Amino acid sequence: MTEPVVDQTVPDAAPAALPMGQAWMACGLAWLLPGLGHLYLGRRRRAVVFCMVVTAMFGLGLASDGAATLADPRLPLTYLATADNVATGPIEVLSRRLTYGRLVYRLPYDEADPERLELLGRLRVKVAAATHEYGSTFLLTAGLMNILLILDAWDIATGRKS
Amino acid sequence: MIRSHFLNLSIFSILVGVFFAFLTQTGTRERLRVMVILGGSMIVLSLLVAYVMYPFPFR
Repeated sequence: MTEPVVDQTVPDAAPAALPMGQAWMACGLAWLLPGLGHLYLGRRRRAVVFCMVVTAMFGLGLASDGAATLADPRLPLTYLATADNVATGPIEVLSRRLTYGRLVYRLPYDEADPERLELLGRLRVKVAAATHEYGSTFLLTAGLMNILLILDAWDIATGRKS
Repeated sequence: MIRSHFLNLSIFSILVGVFFAFLTQTGTRERLRVMVILGGSMIVLSLLVAYVMYPFPFR
């Protein structure tokens, strides 16, 4: 009896790509709650782990007196940090409320602006904490992780990754 | 609030290790391997850099 011939030249079938609408939906859900995009795509275990890791990172950031970054027109790199904070998803609102008492994303340009002085005053309270640097690093890392999760959800949905 | 530098560093390294293990690998064994290598090397390298920086600044 002969062995069945296996054609080694034919590559494994590529993972199926979802319609674009579902791919965007997966990315949107991934932003909404870390891991939700993976849950939508049927990656349950990964979804649970990602949710726990990113939420733990964010929670540790809050507990360690981390501050959400404000976009300062005088410091262009702060725009990147603010976008990174926002990438964590709606839970990011918590860190802004705890730091500034309200939802604010940008410092006024004018140095004498009372709002700018008030926001910087609130930030100084956080900066004075011994663990502020750790906290802010945890918050920024949570945002970076969620950006990677959004991109990963996109890759899975478009069939680039299984 | 955790005040210990080492504890903060360890928690950070473990979380990053777990995250990348699940992001890049599929099998349990491979994930564990990445977790240990990534988390462990972050902790060891940080201690090494801290040791090298210990004499600075010179007084």
